[in-house]
Amino acid sequence: MADKVRVIDRGGAAGTAPPFPPKDTRAASPPRRSGASPEAGVHSPAQRREAGWRDLLRFRARARADVELAVGAAGFAVVLGLWLFLTEAGLVAGQFLPSPFDVLAALYRLFAETGFLSDVWISIYRVWVAFAIAAVMAIPLGILMSAYRIVGATTEPLIDFIRYLPVPALVPLTLIWLGIGELSKITLLWMGTFFQLVLLIADDARRVPKEYIETGRTLGARDPQIMRDILLPAMLPSMVDNLRITLGWCWTYLIIAEIVAANSGIGYVIWAAKRYVKTPEVFAGVLVIGIIGLVTDQAIRWGHRKAFRYLG
Amino acid sequence: MTAGENRFLSIERVSKVFWSDRGRVPVIDDVSLAVEEGEFVVFLGPSGCGKTTLMRMVGGLETPSAGRILLEGEVVTGPSREKGMVFQSYSSFPWLTVFENVRFGLKYRTDLSAARKDEIARHYLDLVGLAAYGDFHINRISGGMRQRVAIARTLAANPDILLMDEPFGALDAQARERLQVQLLRIRHAERKTVIFVTHDVDEAIFLADRIIVFSARPARIIRDIRVGDRLAGERTLETRDSQDFLALRREILAIIRDEAQRSEDLMVAGGMG
Repeated sequence: MADKVRVIDRGGAAGTAPPFPPKDTRAASPPRRSGASPEAGVHSPAQRREAGWRDLLRFRARARADVELAVGAAGFAVVLGLWLFLTEAGLVAGQFLPSPFDVLAALYRLFAETGFLSDVWISIYRVWVAFAIAAVMAIPLGILMSAYRIVGATTEPLIDFIRYLPVPALVPLTLIWLGIGELSKITLLWMGTFFQLVLLIADDARRVPKEYIETGRTLGARDPQIMRDILLPAMLPSMVDNLRITLGWCWTYLIIAEIVAANSGIGYVIWAAKRYVKTPEVFAGVLVIGIIGLVTDQAIRWGHRKAFRYLG
Repeated sequence: MTAGENRFLSIERVSKVFWSDRGRVPVIDDVSLAVEEGEFVVFLGPSGCGKTTLMRMVGGLETPSAGRILLEGEVVTGPSREKGMVFQSYSSFPWLTVFENVRFGLKYRTDLSAARKDEIARHYLDLVGLAAYGDFHINRISGGMRQRVAIARTLAANPDILLMDEPFGALDAQARERLQVQLLRIRHAERKTVIFVTHDVDEAIFLADRIIVFSARPARIIRDIRVGDRLAGERTLETRDSQDFLALRREILAIIRDEAQRSEDLMVAGGMG
């Protein structure tokens, strides 16, 4: 048990990232077009294809979208292959590492027999409600923190303090205060994300070039108008990136919340399966979280590219 | 000092001091200057000399440490629509189209109808020659066009004075030349008072009615040159090859060289003392 607690703790620490974690540069870079290399159009298709693959090795080069996709899929394939090899060759006992087929079977059992879909929904619901509340509160507060020192100076030290509290350590408190209902889980997720998010958003607002603000001033804009018409649209692309990254952290806390005190949700199902050493079910649960994460992340990135075409 | 109340723009014994980790940094040292309505005044000086700071004080974006600035008889206390500003970079908003950027200049006017705002925005878009690009986003147009967008937006707000902070500083030589010619044309059409900051001597002579040459930091006025009196006739690209232009250029470069030498001597002497 002590081991497990440490593992959980690390999960919390990973969420408590440095004040401004390095930006996911892939998200920040403008959408790349296929054949964006200068050679495109001049060389034959065969040469171009080759150049597409070579770009992967060139320092800070951009690769073609299809090449990137292929390489990304290959990454999954390698892991899957290794997994298959280890289990099919009988190198690892099934209760430690079940074969992919066992996991697929478990996945089917979960959805078909035990109503896992409702657990998935309740988990998604918890994450999104907590995240939405955190975002709705963090966006105006973050902007105000950057705009007025009175807000920044009073809230920043407090937020910094709370931000470094490991979320799992707050579980007992949320249970004592709020019981084991939805409210305690949503509060826990909110605490894990809000305090991180508000600082990220304040920083996004601070990075808006002062020329934009001064342009607004010389055109007669007052403070609220500058915040609404200039700060917000100027910071929006980087803010959406930060929301996307924070949403990922939210899932980390969800599992903690559901393992400790819940009788529904993906985390609960994983934990219940562990109790009976149903390792394939544990894997299936983890896999579902990974897939949800991947799909959400890609969807937001896609939306980002569509909405902020003007950055390209 | 009451004379300032009759002038269009009056800078009266203005000094500016910044405070850094090492203490007091004087940026502008007791500068006085009067500008007439409709004048095109260029602030010329070495990079970092404080000429931009002086212009920003006229715009109300900085406050003088000493002295005062009067625009049309009133002390400048902060930024306002009367003092339009064009920056070198981040001059237009990337999330808006070209047309929306120009129209933004009128966004906070409550005395105009939406239709009238559209009309004015279109007029200025046309004036800077970007009527065909109204629906483009800023990332799709060149650096020179972006500066024209900023100029159109600022003019649409109908300021009394146009303050330009090295607006063509980031452009290549060809675009720069084109923009300079266009700026003169626009300025003749609009009859605005302009303060234009640059460190480019050719640009200064080509555009100015009057060049104020500043010393290295802290900025003092070392020469006030009435270019208008010495460079008669309409300014065209050929003006740059005229004898009058070249004579002015030689003269100003000599002033700047002397000043650079002097400030270097001062720095060495100061360092040894």
